[in-house]
Amino acid sequence: MVYQPPIGARDLFPLDVMQKRWIERHLQQVFHRWGYHRIITPTLERLDTLMAGGAIELSTVIQLQDREGDSLGLRPELTASIARAAVTRMAGASHPQRLYYKANVFRRTPKGNHNRQQEFYQAGLELLGCGGVAADAEVLFVIQDCLAHLGLTDAYLVLGEAALTRSLLSPFPANLQESVREAIATLDRLTLESLPLTPELRDRALLILDLRGQPADVLLRVSQLDLTDEQRAIVSRLKALVELLAASDAGQSPRLILDLSLIQTFDYYTGMVFEVVGRVPTSGQRVLGQGGRYDQLLGLYHPQGQSFPGVGFVLNMEELYQVLLPTGQLPQQIPVSDRLVVPTTPNAYAAAFTHARHLRQTNPNERVEVELATLDKPLTPEAIRAHAQNRRIRQILWISETGEVETEDLLQS
Amino acid sequence: MITVALPKGGLLKDSIRLLQSVGLDFSAFLDESNRQLEIWDTSRTAKALLVRNYDVPVYVEYGQAQLGIVGYDMLREKRPKVAHLVDLQFGHCRLSVAVKASSPYRSALELPPHCRVASKFVQCASEYFSSLDLPVEVVPLYGSVELGPITGMSEAIVDLVASGRTLQENHLIEIDQLFESTARLIAHPLSYRLNEDGLQDKIEQIRALSLAMV
Repeated sequence: MVYQPPIGARDLFPLDVMQKRWIERHLQQVFHRWGYHRIITPTLERLDTLMAGGAIELSTVIQLQDREGDSLGLRPELTASIARAAVTRMAGASHPQRLYYKANVFRRTPKGNHNRQQEFYQAGLELLGCGGVAADAEVLFVIQDCLAHLGLTDAYLVLGEAALTRSLLSPFPANLQESVREAIATLDRLTLESLPLTPELRDRALLILDLRGQPADVLLRVSQLDLTDEQRAIVSRLKALVELLAASDAGQSPRLILDLSLIQTFDYYTGMVFEVVGRVPTSGQRVLGQGGRYDQLLGLYHPQGQSFPGVGFVLNMEELYQVLLPTGQLPQQIPVSDRLVVPTTPNAYAAAFTHARHLRQTNPNERVEVELATLDKPLTPEAIRAHAQNRRIRQILWISETGEVETEDLLQS
Repeated sequence: MITVALPKGGLLKDSIRLLQSVGLDFSAFLDESNRQLEIWDTSRTAKALLVRNYDVPVYVEYGQAQLGIVGYDMLREKRPKVAHLVDLQFGHCRLSVAVKASSPYRSALELPPHCRVASKFVQCASEYFSSLDLPVEVVPLYGSVELGPITGMSEAIVDLVASGRTLQENHLIEIDQLFESTARLIAHPLSYRLNEDGLQDKIEQIRALSLAMV
């Protein structure tokens, strides 16, 4: 019998852990600097909690049952959990809640995908209790800082406006609206062209499909449409956001693409939506993370249905790893031990452990190992030395039964 | 740089001719002696990958090619997450149900429930028969599907028909159509949104040419 991890799962060995921690540490530094605090929510949630927002497909949730027969699911993302938890602390809070997380999430592999990953790691944040352009801008600035801090300068921010696009779709006949929206979301121009629409509506659908490019240019094009007052208000907020981003451009921000075809097929986001795109030199562009504003979500979890605005994003650790690996910034090896304490006889162990403890106390940042082999299967000093040198340990301390120490510095080749 | 995934086989010649007329020359793929799977355009601004038509949407979905040319039949079968951009107006064919000419069946609905249907298009065939509420066992085959009914393994086949000659020569007749297909221009969705290296311009040129062909 060979025991393997379940399909889609993986083990993280020490070097993998170090590399993952490196990325997390950098993100965490940025989150802290912006005043965000970490929240930890349960890995298991009630299924209805996970599904309430309408953004999750049931088939992607790995389900379990508790003893009472209630359906539970392994969280496929964190926003639902955080909304559920945070809404209980929102009442009376006069200031926004700034929360961040780093956690594992689970997605069931769609049928037909062979061995695709099912457990993922994510880091992200939620800014709760604050609507408006400034909060949107803050979230985008945090992302910019994250990318800059990770040294990822070749990046894009693709920015959309879910409420605006949804509202631009309202003139379409009710029975076709979903099809039009899905075709736009999936960039399916051929379906748009073949739907039974009037020529005016078809032109409008095709126009929305390609409302994308330089922000100023897209804003101009959308302003030329026949807009309602409400739509004009959204456009001017979007304009304010774009101007705010441009005014505080520190020079290494990701390139901004305004893309009003960037929508989901479900009603979850209520304002800006975005994707962060990075480049892997060998395999092209990848979506590193995504986010947006969801002003209806918290209300779903509030006992009295009271809602609060929210905006957030998530970065996918595996994608970040893929773009960071070729940059050479990630740790390439696990740390070496500094010293090796070797008892010279089987009776010298007490003295060896005592000396090792003393070394650790005096040099708390060093790694000190005790040679264990001497007791059962004694090694020659030459073998121990060669082994230590191999592992790039810089000093051996030979300990006798009576606690005498002979220090030997190893030459590094 | 733009990379285009091109399908081996029937669509290749027209695909290369189309790309030539928008200034991308991959005619080296048509050379009988060519064994290369990846070639540069003669102006070295674009690259083409020569892959099985089944694999075109894969390279495009994963972004190794920003553009691809593939039959609509393949898009229906594989449902890849790619942008469907232009109907290229060549490679006309249809996905059809066919049976032995000597069989009594003259429409798909007449096929006996739980009969076997051989096909390379497992997904399309399953969807079609379940839309008819006719339970059938779809037998996946990878080539020469016509042998299914000839050998008696299956009552019917679901396969692409262009001229209908292969069916005729094997004494099969077409009894129903699932859909018509032509070659399509597809794009990697993210690359389409980012529009690097003049991708959108190339797509517009191709669209204009294809519209002119209607």
